[in-house]
Amino acid sequence: MNMLSPAAEQKIDEFFNLPFDDLKGVRCPYFNNARINRRGQLRGLIGRGSPKEIVEEAKILSIQYHKDIFDHTGHCHLGGENETATVTECIRRFLIDNNLGIDCAGFVSHVLINHFKETNNFNLARHFNFENKNFFRRLINHLRPIENMSVLTYSQDSNTILIANGTQNTDWQKIMPADLIIMMETGPKLNRNHILLITDNDGQTIRYVHSRAWSSEGQYGHGITRGEIIINNPTKNLLEQQWLEKNQTGIANETFLEAKNAKTLEIRRIKL
Amino acid sequence: MSCEPFSPELLEQAMIYLLSATVGSFVLAPLLIKLLYKLNITRRNEFDFTLRSSERSSKIGTPIMGGILVIFVVTIITLIFNWERKYTFVPIGVMGISAMLGAADDLLNIFGKKRRFRSIEHVKTLMRIHKSWQTRLWYKITLPLTYLKNFIGAFGSHPGRGVLVHEKLFFQLLAGSVTAWWIYAKLGGDWRSLWVPYDGQINLGWLIIPLVILLVMFTANAVNIADGLDGLAGGSLLFTFLGLTLISWIEGRVAFTLLNATVVGTLIAYTYFNIKPARFQMGDVGSLGLGALLAINVIAINKTILLPIIGFIFYLEAFSVVIQVFFRRVFGRRFFKMAPLHHHFEFHGWSEEKIVMRFWLIHAFFVFVAVWLSFH
Repeated sequence: MNMLSPAAEQKIDEFFNLPFDDLKGVRCPYFNNARINRRGQLRGLIGRGSPKEIVEEAKILSIQYHKDIFDHTGHCHLGGENETATVTECIRRFLIDNNLGIDCAGFVSHVLINHFKETNNFNLARHFNFENKNFFRRLINHLRPIENMSVLTYSQDSNTILIANGTQNTDWQKIMPADLIIMMETGPKLNRNHILLITDNDGQTIRYVHSRAWSSEGQYGHGITRGEIIINNPTKNLLEQQWLEKNQTGIANETFLEAKNAKTLEIRRIKL
Repeated sequence: MSCEPFSPELLEQAMIYLLSATVGSFVLAPLLIKLLYKLNITRRNEFDFTLRSSERSSKIGTPIMGGILVIFVVTIITLIFNWERKYTFVPIGVMGISAMLGAADDLLNIFGKKRRFRSIEHVKTLMRIHKSWQTRLWYKITLPLTYLKNFIGAFGSHPGRGVLVHEKLFFQLLAGSVTAWWIYAKLGGDWRSLWVPYDGQINLGWLIIPLVILLVMFTANAVNIADGLDGLAGGSLLFTFLGLTLISWIEGRVAFTLLNATVVGTLIAYTYFNIKPARFQMGDVGSLGLGALLAINVIAINKTILLPIIGFIFYLEAFSVVIQVFFRRVFGRRFFKMAPLHHHFEFHGWSEEKIVMRFWLIHAFFVFVAVWLSFH
């Protein structure tokens, strides 16, 4: 199988086009709760909500705080029919200003849960191993799995199998959709983890999707993005290939830069 | 004091109390509205986040603490004409304690400064880094209290200018304890049993004490929660106290028949001025006071088990908040679009009038169910 399941693709599409009534093209922004550290909150407010939950929170915030963007029926008040691009951008800014969005692991979790439910009838959230011995933490993990499925837990052997080490030569044919590219201890301070979801691999190009924020894109440019790794040198490792995202390659492509700076760069597969 | 069930004399007397209270309240209400405007006790946008929604912004500038009207008239009429140390002393006293707590909350919300609410992490940091060792020690000693405040605070709304949730609960615990002491120690052995329709009595013994405390606290807060739309709490309380008057009259409980009839009379005038667009709003002073009085009166006429039915809409609203907070904290999701329940329907586009009138009718139905059950 060279593609993600239709349910997973639909979920990705929902993140690219958040399900606002009569409005297409609002791409879900990136939001990481580590920035403001909300605790015990709605998952839509901590960067782990589904597209529907993010939209619902946006509507509630708009009505509650008198922003006049949406009315009670969920219709957007902004602009006319010919101003879709402006309206879309305005709503994205509203989401970002109100800390609504999705982080990388949250996005991957939502998509993979749908994927494995359809392909393997396997509930990923239910079977995920959080390796926690504390009873209360285990209870919380059980009740709120998506909030606790972090990059770290995805990198653990109890949840995923190592397919390839990013710094070693790899058999590219082995890589399949729903595999994960995991970067540990990266970013400028080497204190961030990041995860990409592979959507397909035709042998020459690995395509991926992820939720990320590039510093070069400023305050409002970030969100869910697709990218690809073109296998130009099949005999060399992942970092020796051409990473292309938003027409940027090399270190101008900040995803590649993060991969390059990561202490650990691995391709892993969910253990079923 | 009691008399024959279905006594026509008692009913006539109750009508006199009801009509007097109505007339008295109608005379006082315009004066109270003027006074509240003069003292600037009005709703303000910057202190009330619910007013930020466009449909509710018309309420800015409406006087609050209109509940004083009911509390004042009921207290005066009862003190002068219906004062019985055994029966009406404690209900009026507990209503007064709760109303004072509500008044403090209302006034602090308008005139008070923003209250400081420290998180556990903040206190733990201060325990380590504060320059004074006495302060560090104080934070260590009071750490359990900080945990308690934060735990209780998680179930409340955003800490603002008013009385904080844990402070409110403390005073409500006090009011509940006074009621429990009165029921257990003063009213006699009959009140230690719980009346059950069709099944007689269940003797609870000392367990009646925590039950009464819990019910007084919960009901006071439930009425407070339901007081979110013009006319909702006032109209619903009117039906509830009307039902209580009927039950007290049927059972021949003189003091409570007259007390409940007085409350009905004042609520007629209050609701007249409170329906949309409201001339004044109840405020915590009225909702906490009347909520406590409702619980006490139901317990005192030994119909405790009917409380969730005769106060149906209040309990429904309160449980909607409990469910919402439970889902929010435990599952990280919303059960309702917004809690209490009336806000959920507002988000679905129902008009304020539609919600209030439908809630009144549903509530009236359950009040009649409670009256019917009281016969069995």
